[in-house]
Amino acid sequence: MSIARGDNRALQIAAYALAGTISLAFLYPYWWMLVSAFRATKAIMAAPIRLWPETLDFSIFAEIAQIGGVPLWRYIANSFAITGLSTVLGVTITALGAYALTRMPKLPGFATLRTVFLVAIMYPYMLLVIPVYLVMYKLGLLGSYAGIILFLALGPIQFFLFEQFFRKIPAEVIEAAIIDGASEAQILFRVILPMAAPVTATVALITFLLNWAQWFPIMVISKTPDTYTLPVALLAMNTELGANFQGIMALAVITTLPVAVLFLLAQKRVMEGMAAGAVKG
Amino acid sequence: MIETLDVVWRHRIFYLFVLPFAVLTILFGLWPILLSIQVSFTASATALRPNPTYVGFANYLVVLSDPAFLASLTKTFLYTALSVVANLAFALGVAVLLDSALLTRGNLFFRLAIFLPVVTPDVAGYVVWRWLFDRSFGAINAMLEMIGAPAFAGLTSARTAMASLLIAELWHHAGFYMIIFLANLSMRDKALEEAAHVDGATAWQRWRYVILPQLKPALIINTVYALIQFLKTFTVVVVMTKGGPNEATNFVSYYAYQLFDQGRYGEATAMATILFAIVILISLTFYRIADREVAA
Repeated sequence: MSIARGDNRALQIAAYALAGTISLAFLYPYWWMLVSAFRATKAIMAAPIRLWPETLDFSIFAEIAQIGGVPLWRYIANSFAITGLSTVLGVTITALGAYALTRMPKLPGFATLRTVFLVAIMYPYMLLVIPVYLVMYKLGLLGSYAGIILFLALGPIQFFLFEQFFRKIPAEVIEAAIIDGASEAQILFRVILPMAAPVTATVALITFLLNWAQWFPIMVISKTPDTYTLPVALLAMNTELGANFQGIMALAVITTLPVAVLFLLAQKRVMEGMAAGAVKG
Repeated sequence: MIETLDVVWRHRIFYLFVLPFAVLTILFGLWPILLSIQVSFTASATALRPNPTYVGFANYLVVLSDPAFLASLTKTFLYTALSVVANLAFALGVAVLLDSALLTRGNLFFRLAIFLPVVTPDVAGYVVWRWLFDRSFGAINAMLEMIGAPAFAGLTSARTAMASLLIAELWHHAGFYMIIFLANLSMRDKALEEAAHVDGATAWQRWRYVILPQLKPALIINTVYALIQFLKTFTVVVVMTKGGPNEATNFVSYYAYQLFDQGRYGEATAMATILFAIVILISLTFYRIADREVAA
């Protein structure tokens, strides 16, 4: 290379300084949230940027054990149940649907269904409040867990990831199975789905992360806070007058921690999956 | 007809596979959209009754001649344009930085730090940002004070509220655009750069004429995604500003949502339909332009 050694070294230090500063700026809100959850509101007002709490006081978690008349554990249980079940349901339904649509795109109605799905995901869904409310009302699902879980089941990235995977399966694989006398059900369950195990894991992870963060449909479909998940409870708490700042930060920590841990454990799969799912769109 | 039925019957197993997907798409995708469009043609007071009064395009006329809606639309476009440019420029810059040979060690840490907000529930992230900007609790003004810089009004002033939302949203979304650029960068043909280098091209020329043209797929995908994303901006407004101060951040989706709250269903759904049309039109136009560019 024509660049002198010294220049290269200086350039490298500058690159590290820049990337380091940006990363710390991105991580700082998490640190501030965490520290604030352990500090009394008065102490934060006096010194907002203290990097470590004065005392390690966990009493705030006892203080927010009830939020809006509902126990905190219920919001946590709701979050895990609604996110978990909508993920299992969504992955199963999307895998079957995407498989049929990519394997037999020319069957009557299949192209139309795909187009309807693609248009539906473009609709600004925050504007569907009243219609979704009406639909849930007509189906008798208003205020029910079933309504929330069914509404959260489908999503664009999940569909694109499966579609992309099924399109890449060589035709010979299926032809060989047909020659061996396998039925279509056998082809799907014995040949295709075992091959799809890695992409299924990726889709499940991403669906879990995305559905954990959902709040608006849950708020609309719920009749009472009994079916709220953590983000919805956090929003309700944040909207109250005379907000309990320390409590809000503690609840934000609880809302963030499970998905942050899950992401860090599976970061490669999540980042590659999200990039791949987007590229198809 | 008989033939079609025969085809369907012979492939009934595929219809069985697709059935749950089709049911959910129709129940929670198609039906609400059609209901929403239907409501937009009815008088608000009767919209939710079994036999609503149809008023033709009256709601659309009311919306389109409402100066507050037009102001909201202008703000939405301005915010979208600024956000798309800021997010893509930032994400591209960071992606190029992280892709360079200068940062081999610690690269994963940087990627994780910038991507973590993408999977952080947006409500939680924006709640934290709301308080970071606060004048009495917030860390941002405390830091500015420490270095002797003037205070940042943040969410309390109409002049800085939009910038504050943009910063919080960039924190939440930029990591996503970054990984698309990184994926594209890792697929590029590095031999071309070697050749340009041998031919005496400067670092800038190699970047501008060799690398950047190869990033066109990522640029197109990110632009379309970001356009759709920011035209629909909603959660950050609900959490941080409620459209204020002084309507400065009252973007179209939040404005329509407020109309819902006031029971003005007809106008709200007319507004929703207009925004939907704009989102589809802009994305299709952009795809078409991109197609022509690629073909040329």
